[in-house]
Order: sequence, then structure tokens, then C-alpha cells
Amino acid sequence: MQKIMAKAGFTVGFTALAIFVLFPLVWVFLMSIKGFDDVIAFPPKFIFEPTLENYVSVLFGDGGSGAGEFRQYLLNSFIVSGGAVLLSLAVGVPAAYALSANRVRGGDHLAFTFLSLRFAPELAIIIPLYAIFQQVRIYDSYIGLILAHQLITIPLVIWIVRTFLADVPVEIEEAAQLDGCGPWRTLLNVVVPVIRPGIASAAILAFIFSWNNLLMGLVLSGPNTRPVTVGILQAIGFDQVRWGWMAAAAMIAAVPGMIIAVYLQRHLVRGLTMGAGK
Amino acid sequence: MATNSVSTLKKRQQRTHLIMVVPALVLVIGIMVPFVQGVVRSFTNEKGYIANPSFIGFGNYINLFTDSKFLTGLFVTILYVVLALAIQLPLAMSIALLLEKSTFVRRIGRNFIVLPLLIPPIVAGLMWKTMMQPSAGVLNYLLSLVGVEGGPWLTDPATSLLSVVLIDTWAFTPFSALILLAGLQALPPSLTEAATMDGAGWWAGFRYISLPWLAPYVILVALFRVADSLKQFDLIWPVTRGGPLNSTRLLHVQGYEEAFRFSSPAMAMAIIFVLWLIVYLFSFLLLRLWRRTINAVE
Repeated sequence: MQKIMAKAGFTVGFTALAIFVLFPLVWVFLMSIKGFDDVIAFPPKFIFEPTLENYVSVLFGDGGSGAGEFRQYLLNSFIVSGGAVLLSLAVGVPAAYALSANRVRGGDHLAFTFLSLRFAPELAIIIPLYAIFQQVRIYDSYIGLILAHQLITIPLVIWIVRTFLADVPVEIEEAAQLDGCGPWRTLLNVVVPVIRPGIASAAILAFIFSWNNLLMGLVLSGPNTRPVTVGILQAIGFDQVRWGWMAAAAMIAAVPGMIIAVYLQRHLVRGLTMGAGK
Repeated sequence: MATNSVSTLKKRQQRTHLIMVVPALVLVIGIMVPFVQGVVRSFTNEKGYIANPSFIGFGNYINLFTDSKFLTGLFVTILYVVLALAIQLPLAMSIALLLEKSTFVRRIGRNFIVLPLLIPPIVAGLMWKTMMQPSAGVLNYLLSLVGVEGGPWLTDPATSLLSVVLIDTWAFTPFSALILLAGLQALPPSLTEAATMDGAGWWAGFRYISLPWLAPYVILVALFRVADSLKQFDLIWPVTRGGPLNSTRLLHVQGYEEAFRFSSPAMAMAIIFVLWLIVYLFSFLLLRLWRRTINAVE
């Protein structure tokens, strides 16, 4: 009897969880494939004739509020987030390596300093950067945004890579050193291949968090570099909201995260929790 | 002679290791310098229409702590964090316990609960905003189907903050649940087996075995959630812009408006610096607590 009760409780709990998590996603997806009349219909429609018009409108424009620019926003987000991640990897992987296993004295302290950036309110850096970027003329430029996004990507890369480094057997490195490899060769030829999953999950998560960020773009981007998140925000005029358009744009903006959630889930959890979970 | 060459080799290695840190360090200094510069600016009267700003000491800070808008913002920020933690910690714990049951459930469950975490907060916010529309939204419609009268959600100052916390709960509880789930999976089976052998029920097992084991994980969740909720912006700005009637104007939102709507960067930096201090105080305390519990468990 108790077993049946437990099983029932479990089923109810799991169903509730699935509905809570998935319903908003499903609902907005439905919204994105509804025609205009179906979107504003009340009571809300669950059965209707699907259309791709919202997606066409988002990606190719329909003569309305400059919707064709959305493709440029997507490209901008790719350039900024991709660039930010590449820079963070180039700089962060060697740093993570040197800062682990007591290779540098005070390495732990320094690593915590890097992590602490993760907790800083972004505006503490963005407000000053806004003035500086205008002075040195990199406001509304890819390079400026890539530099600013280091605030997001660097701590993630260093911390995730560090947790994976902790699992590299010391013997491999010692063997490499006996073969006469210096620190750089040991890192690049021996250690990096072993921690490739860690580097991949760091890169992917850093990309997602950079891609998802709104505040950086809101302040530091302009017409030339506007990212997807800011593009969506601008497209929704506050009083005349085109819900179908917004839903389609939101779906497209969420694509990188969703693909990754499904395909790379295994490495993701460890990265997300920054080493708390293995 | 041999030992000598080993020690020079060690020295060379150490130097290379230091060099490896330098580029990252340069970037971090590049981030810290503007921050310090910004804090210095918070002690000036810099404002859009003032040509030559001058230092005014703690003027901005004194103004802040006598300004009811700021004090409301401070209160709302703290309330947001408290509500978020009070709802999300127990919920995340339940989800973790639920998913821990079997490998099969864990695999499916982890796959879908991670979704909200990976989509942009602005998307999550707008999704819920459409659903929470009082008259045409699907939430009130679904509630009416089961005979419950819907609420005004985001449009009423009385319920707006709680509604935003609900969106926050949807977006970030999965993160907390995943950490706790990782903790449960790291629990040595021998511990739970011993408890079962002693005839302990489920609750006793949870209360006296799992929960103490999970303590460092719970603190880690609290650390991330407290810091992230204190500085929440991305989720709030697209949804309410701080309204209605300042009811969701957290300090990070207020700082943004001060800087970019009222062109008062000095005042904005003062607000943000106060926020920064609060974030650091809590992170520091939780981090210390975390280290202590880790030592206690091991």
C-alpha cells in the first residue's frame, strides 16, 4: 500500500514538474506559429492552423518595423559571443592550468579573485566602460563588446577548466616533463587533449551566458553591433506588442541554448555547477 | 651539480607558469581599473548638465540614504532575494529528491529541467509576461477553467514582485536543483544503507543523513542564488522596467535608470557600489560558511 502511495506521489510530482517547466516553452512555441488572429483570440486557442509567417517576418522582414535587421542581430551576437569565448579560452586555459595544483604560489587566491568577477553587479563595470569606450572610440564596436563580455566568460572558463584539471593524473605530466617538455608543451600536447570535454563545456557555457546577456548590449552596443537580446527588446514597442513576432524572435534567440541543452547535457551539469557536481 | 640544474629547471618552470597567468591578469586589471574609476566618480557631482564635475565627498551616499526611492529599492531588492530563496530552495530540494529516484527519470528529467537555464532571461521574462496578461493571458484562462479567479500578476504593485519572483523561480530553480542532485548522487551509499539497516524511515534518513551531507551544496546554491538575485536585471527590465510604482525596481535596475535615463553616472555608481558591497558581504559570509561545512563533512 505504502509503495503504491509513493509511486502515485512520484508520478504526480514528476508530472507537475514537467508541466511547470515545459508549458511556457510549448505555449510560446505555439504562439510563434499562430496567425495574428489566433494569437489575440480569447479564450486562448490550443488548436489552430499553424503558419510560419512570424518566422518569415522575423528573418526576412515584412516591411514593418525593420524586422529584416534581425538577421544582422543574430550575426552580431555570434561575432561578439564567439569572439569573447575565443579570447577567454586563449587567455583562460593557460591561466587555469598555472593556477591549479600549486603551480603558482597563491594560485588559489588568484583563482578566487577570478571567480569573484562572476558575482559583481555588471553595471559596476559597464557604467565606467560606457564613458571609456566613447573616449577611445570603441563604443558600439565588436572589439569593445568582446572585451566587456570577458566579465562573463573569463570566470566561467577559468573555473570550469580548473575543476577538470583537478582530475588529470599527475603521472601524465611527470612523464611529459621527463621527456623534456616545458610547461607550454606539457599543457598543449598532454593536458589539453585530456581535458577536452572540460574545455568544450566551458566554451559552450561561456558562449550561452554571453549570448543570453541583455545588459551589456543594452549599454555598450549601438546600431552597428546590436545583439539579439537587445533587438527583441527594441522590437516590442510597449503599447503595440506583436506577440506572434516576439514569440518567433524569442524562439530563434533561444535556439543555441536549446540545442546545447539536448546534445551536451552530460558535460553541462558539471560546468554549470562550476565543479560542485560531477 | 645535478641538483643545481634541477633547481634552475624548476625556476624556469615557475617563471613560465607565471607568464601563463599574465594575459588573464591583464584582462582582470582592465576590468578592475574602470570599476575603481567608477567608484571614484561616485564621490563627484557628475551629471548630464554639469560641465565641470567636482568632488562632493559622501554627498551622493548621504542623499541616497535619505531618499525614499533608494530605500524602497533596497527593501525591494532584499525582499526579492528572501522570497526567491524561500521558494526556490525547498522546491529545488524536492526536485532533486524526485529526480534522484531512478537513473531513467534522472536522464529525462535533467534533459528538460536544464532548458529554462539556457534560454536568455529576456526570453523567459517575455514568455511569462505574455502568459500573465490579466485579461487575455493564458494563465488566468487556465485558472478560470479550474474555477480559480486569476490575478492581476505584474500589473498590480501588490502582486508584481511575487510574479517576477515566480518567473525567476522558473528560470533558475533548475540550476539549484542540479547542484543538489549532484550532491545527492555523491552521497556514499554505505551511509544510507546503514540508516536503512538501523530501521530508519525515509524522513529520518533524509533529516539525519542526506541533509547534513548536503549542507555544503545547499550553501553553494544559496551563494549563487543570493548573489544573482541581488543583482537581477535581465529578467526584470524587459518585464516591468521596475514598475508598477517602483514595486520591482531592484537596485540594479535603479542604477541603470539613474545612469542612462537621468544621465547621472555619479549617483548611479553610488547605488551600484552600495549594491556591490551588499553582494560581496553576503558572498563572503556564505563562502566562509561553505568552507566550514565542507571541513565538517570531510
